[in-house]
Amino acid sequence: MKKTFKKEKLLKWSRINRQVLIGAVLFLAFIFPLFNLLGWMGMVWVRLGVKVAVFVLLALGLNIIIGETGLLNLGYIAFFAIGAYTTAIFASPRLGFHLPFWLLFLLSGFFAVAFGFLLGLPTLRLRGDYLAIVTLAFGEIVRITLNNWESVTNGPGGIPGIYDPVIFGLRIDNNFEYYYLTLGLIILCLILIRNLKNSRFGRAWNALREDEIAAECAGIHVSMAKLLSFMVSSLFAGFAGCIFASLQKFVNPQYFVFMQSVLVVCMVVLGGMGSIPGVIAGAIALDTLPEIIRHTFAFWLPSFLGEDFLTSFPPLLQNFLFDFDRYRMLIFGLAIVLMMIFRPEGLIPSRAWQRELHEIDPRLLEETQMIRFDLEEEEKDLEV
Amino acid sequence: MLRLEKVQTHYGRIEVLKFIDIEVNEGEIVCLLGGNASGKSTTMKTILGIVRPTSGRVVYRGEVINDVPTAQRIKMGIATVPENRRLFPHLTVLENLEMGAFTRNDKLGIQEDLKRVYQLFPVLEERKNQRAGTLSGGEQQMVAVGRALMACPKLLIMDEPSMGLSPALVDQSFEIIKEVNKQGVTIFVVEQNAQAALSIADRGYVLQTGEIVMEGKASELLKSDKIRKAYLGEA
Ligand SMILES: Nc1ncnc2c1ncn2[C@@H]1O[C@H](COP(=O)(O)OP(=O)(O)OP(=O)(O)O)[C@@H](O)[C@H]1O
Ligand SMILES: [Mg+2]
Repeated sequence: MKKTFKKEKLLKWSRINRQVLIGAVLFLAFIFPLFNLLGWMGMVWVRLGVKVAVFVLLALGLNIIIGETGLLNLGYIAFFAIGAYTTAIFASPRLGFHLPFWLLFLLSGFFAVAFGFLLGLPTLRLRGDYLAIVTLAFGEIVRITLNNWESVTNGPGGIPGIYDPVIFGLRIDNNFEYYYLTLGLIILCLILIRNLKNSRFGRAWNALREDEIAAECAGIHVSMAKLLSFMVSSLFAGFAGCIFASLQKFVNPQYFVFMQSVLVVCMVVLGGMGSIPGVIAGAIALDTLPEIIRHTFAFWLPSFLGEDFLTSFPPLLQNFLFDFDRYRMLIFGLAIVLMMIFRPEGLIPSRAWQRELHEIDPRLLEETQMIRFDLEEEEKDLEV
Repeated sequence: MLRLEKVQTHYGRIEVLKFIDIEVNEGEIVCLLGGNASGKSTTMKTILGIVRPTSGRVVYRGEVINDVPTAQRIKMGIATVPENRRLFPHLTVLENLEMGAFTRNDKLGIQEDLKRVYQLFPVLEERKNQRAGTLSGGEQQMVAVGRALMACPKLLIMDEPSMGLSPALVDQSFEIIKEVNKQGVTIFVVEQNAQAALSIADRGYVLQTGEIVMEGKASELLKSDKIRKAYLGEA
């Protein structure tokens, strides 16, 4: 009986905690690179921070299609590639272009959106498995085109020497600046997502996810809503690609393989489809986990336990811990299977999906618990 | 208000509607009767534009709407209670009702209509935060009707609104249809429950394997031997 009371309190706490958590994460995100200046962590981590930020952008974008609209896109990395290559082609010695950064940024977004439209148009009638296969094929087509269109993309050799962005006279050329640039972009995108989610478009997307014919009967232009979903999510990928290309100073087709699309899907699914904090958490977790594990066993633990503590492990395990990056997909696969069994709604679930996967609405649960609590009180009264 | 002129509809090569003529006048309740697979739902889908007729014309308020997309037709004032309800199962009752008003911009009017729906179905107000998929069948039917009303329609098209309802609720739901009609909504309703439908309708049509085989005043249809035998279970 006491347990029910505790649960109710917990529910309230979890709600407050969620806000505190979001605040804390934002704060941490802002001061994170300063740890390097204080000498608490190496530059690798700042660089990893930039990479994580780029993938947060990607995951947020893909979430619009998968989480909000309920359509599976397995070729999402292609839009990232289009953004990155647009920047590479128009701001490198390759063809001799050097466009100003703001224009590059918009162009990257524009091309990604244009291709989002092109992919969306013929796939309007497809759902589920069929859509997944077509998007997968699209992703491969883009990669293979980049690989073979030597006159422009230099094929498998890629495009080196991408210029640094210059924003308001400031040259972005170190990891700190890249980090804050990307963080700023993330915040902009978050504001955009918030507004979209609460707008007619957001409601139309959610209705589509539930039942296409019912959505149509409610007066939603299903094709337009789908196209828009494709285009907005491509926009995010295009922006992310632009920053990524500028950061890496080099792009090549091998980076934009199918596995990368899968990785972003994993971020969205593991984090919690349709949940913004969840998707961000998913991107952070999947990007940092391999690094953290590798560092733990390669640097941190040896510094405490002595250089050769690993040699006492079986060779296979040693290999595994040192080379964690190579086993990444294996671990992710396992993580996803486990998540689907024990926590299908993701790390930080959205309310809608929570409702979907657990028959009882938490708000109703709360009500019944209140009632039980009242009964409990009555019982006590009777006892007295 | 709505007229089907020699409408023919195919699914692939199968002809389902064979040149049917139906007319629904402003302010009327018209019902469409017919056995299973006679093409009733197909007629509704043709009116809504979910399937397109292969020949003939669908005329709504003097305008041929054959090529108008579904969403546009909803904007023009046609709302529907689709077959099998088709709620948004994971949205709450309130969210479902709000989706019904998707094409509208008048916030005040929407609020008023929401109140009106809650008046018609008080249980929906109690359950407004419950997700629609967990409601009982009868409650879901109420949401489906409420959602259609939220569109503030001129013409309401209902495909078996009494499906899955207990006899008491069937009567109640037809009372509600009558009530809605009195408030100025023209109603075209498909029903298996001929007795209940004809008792509130002005006129009726009988569909048999894609052809209109009988039409007339509801009171006359109720008296007709053929109808009594086929749909009212009388020998
Ligand atoms: N999408 C479709 N593709 C092919 N055939 C279809 C399709 N929808 C319906 N049909 C066929 O068209 C015929 C009429 O179907 P319809 O749904 O209009 O019947 P109905 O009169 O509403 O029947 P019921 O009373 O059982 O709902 C049926 O034979 C059905 O099999
Ligand atoms: Mg039917």
